[in-house]
Amino acid sequence: MKCPKLLLVAAGLAILVSVDSLADGIKVIANSSVKADTISEDELKLVFLGERISLTDGTHVEPVFMKEGPVDRAFLRKYLGVTEDDLQIHYRTLLFTGRGSMPKVLESDAAVVAYVAETRGAIGYVSASANALGVKILAIGVPGRRLITRVEPDYPETLKQLNIGGTVRLRISISAKGNVENALLLGGNPILGESASMAVKQWIYAASRSPTVAEISITFGEH
Amino acid sequence: MIFAYFLCLGQVALHAQEFKLFDREVQIHGFASQGFIYTNENNWLTMNTSQGSGAFTDFGINVSTNVSDSLRVGAQLYDRNLGQLGQYHPALDWAVVDYRVKSWLGVRGGKVKTTLGLYTDSQDFDFLHTFALLPQSIYRIDLRDDTIAHVGGDIYGNVTLQHKLGDLSYTGYVGHRNDGEHGGYRYYFSSFGAQIKSYGGLQYGADLRWRTPLKGLLIGVSRMNEDITAKGSAINPFNPGEGLVPYSEFSKSDWTNQFYGEYTKGRLRIDSEYRRYWRNQILNGTSESFADVRGWYVSGAYRVCKRVQIGSYYSRYTIANVVTGALSVFYPSATDTNLPTGHEYDKVLTGRVDLNRFWYVKVEGHFMNGYGSGPYPTGFYSQVNPQGLKPTTNALVVKTGINF
Repeated sequence: MKCPKLLLVAAGLAILVSVDSLADGIKVIANSSVKADTISEDELKLVFLGERISLTDGTHVEPVFMKEGPVDRAFLRKYLGVTEDDLQIHYRTLLFTGRGSMPKVLESDAAVVAYVAETRGAIGYVSASANALGVKILAIGVPGRRLITRVEPDYPETLKQLNIGGTVRLRISISAKGNVENALLLGGNPILGESASMAVKQWIYAASRSPTVAEISITFGEH
Repeated sequence: MIFAYFLCLGQVALHAQEFKLFDREVQIHGFASQGFIYTNENNWLTMNTSQGSGAFTDFGINVSTNVSDSLRVGAQLYDRNLGQLGQYHPALDWAVVDYRVKSWLGVRGGKVKTTLGLYTDSQDFDFLHTFALLPQSIYRIDLRDDTIAHVGGDIYGNVTLQHKLGDLSYTGYVGHRNDGEHGGYRYYFSSFGAQIKSYGGLQYGADLRWRTPLKGLLIGVSRMNEDITAKGSAINPFNPGEGLVPYSEFSKSDWTNQFYGEYTKGRLRIDSEYRRYWRNQILNGTSESFADVRGWYVSGAYRVCKRVQIGSYYSRYTIANVVTGALSVFYPSATDTNLPTGHEYDKVLTGRVDLNRFWYVKVEGHFMNGYGSGPYPTGFYSQVNPQGLKPTTNALVVKTGINF
């Protein structure tokens, strides 16, 4: 799953595709010891608030934060629903009441990627344009459904040359067996949405006891 | 002076708070604060505040490390001086071994901060709060020893609810509470000529808080039961000339219920809590005391910009008490909470400026009605108000502090 993405980066292609973790110019990365390819928004929030020390598959995780800045602000706002000041108070409360430690905070994309790559269980976030060599990128947004097969969407050549990209949002229906049966465009460029829909319908999730409906985002280009 | 020392120490330590020991990262953090209080009428919080008092200092330092993914150890020292309380006697604030088996199950033991409502465990840490004084209807700064920590153990965890119903955090605890030598309750007792040698006992309870699906809304409930014994000596009220005679009191029924909610949206934070404390004591084997203490508040805080916060709260406290038996002659019952002796209402306005990430200043106004009384102190003590108490008090509180 990771290799096609790395090849694309290496080839210098402009397309950057992932699930929700790329929304707002962010991707969530994890050490290779983290078994999951997907993490739900709820789980991500609890991990980064220090409430959870392991994922549902049992993997131990340790959150890694980025120093205060646009990437940090976007991540906290979107996934944790807090400001940087709120987060400081949260962690200092844990620290000074004897219930936790201050989390790791690193200066840059490169520092976060390097730390996550070498630290068992580490999970962090970086800007969408960061070189994520040596770490795995986690998809977000489908609680409890592990993504087994992902097909990258085509970035229409004309739109790419005109630098027309952006994020499209889809609501997908996943059957109990794991097939994506339906993909409804919720927002974004309709041509890119059509391309994303075609790709997403080929995705395969792990089987579950019941069907799932989830919202995902896919970003085309450096947006 | 002490604060100035810590200010310098803090500035130095800001960049030296982590080091490696046996390949494990060790974190050192600390804080210090200095306050000044001026009141227009009564002396407050055991200080001579009507003249203006700066006897309002505290500081602490902690060290902690993660021994493994699941095991963490740490300890914190805390010291304070609040008028006649604390008197710079350092105390072990907490010292815990914390083993987190799973996200939904952890245990910690040692001296552990007690989880009771939103702020019991963090009430000493001024830098975490918008207000210089938390609502005194619930978080009485002079009585912090009553609820702050226990020597024992906690079981705790977090559970994610299905169907996007949020998550639940729970804590259950049992331990022994031991009030400091310079706590508010002992000081209060000294006004009767009593000397309490030991004060403490069993404390157990639970807290359940629900982070709801409504973004930013948390609600919770706490319960604490106590079995407290005090031993010491007191003047025999039936024969004052006899001198000091042995005195003891113990809990017959002693519990606290607390309900709370917190809502944050962007720069706005709204808190509200209600606490009822029921205290039924047997006094010296001859009398019985019943105290029904109720408090609630609503607070709002708004971050105007990164460095500036403003806030306000309304805090309402009532106490009704009845004494039966031999001592009832000397301690008449007081059940009318409309009298100044039966309540303390407090309207508060606050401004906080963070000069930088580590250093802040707060200015706060309190407009209080009533002063409470009865067998449970309320911040207004007769020892520092020998001329008697007036029904209203306005207070200006200025506080500054650092943390790293």
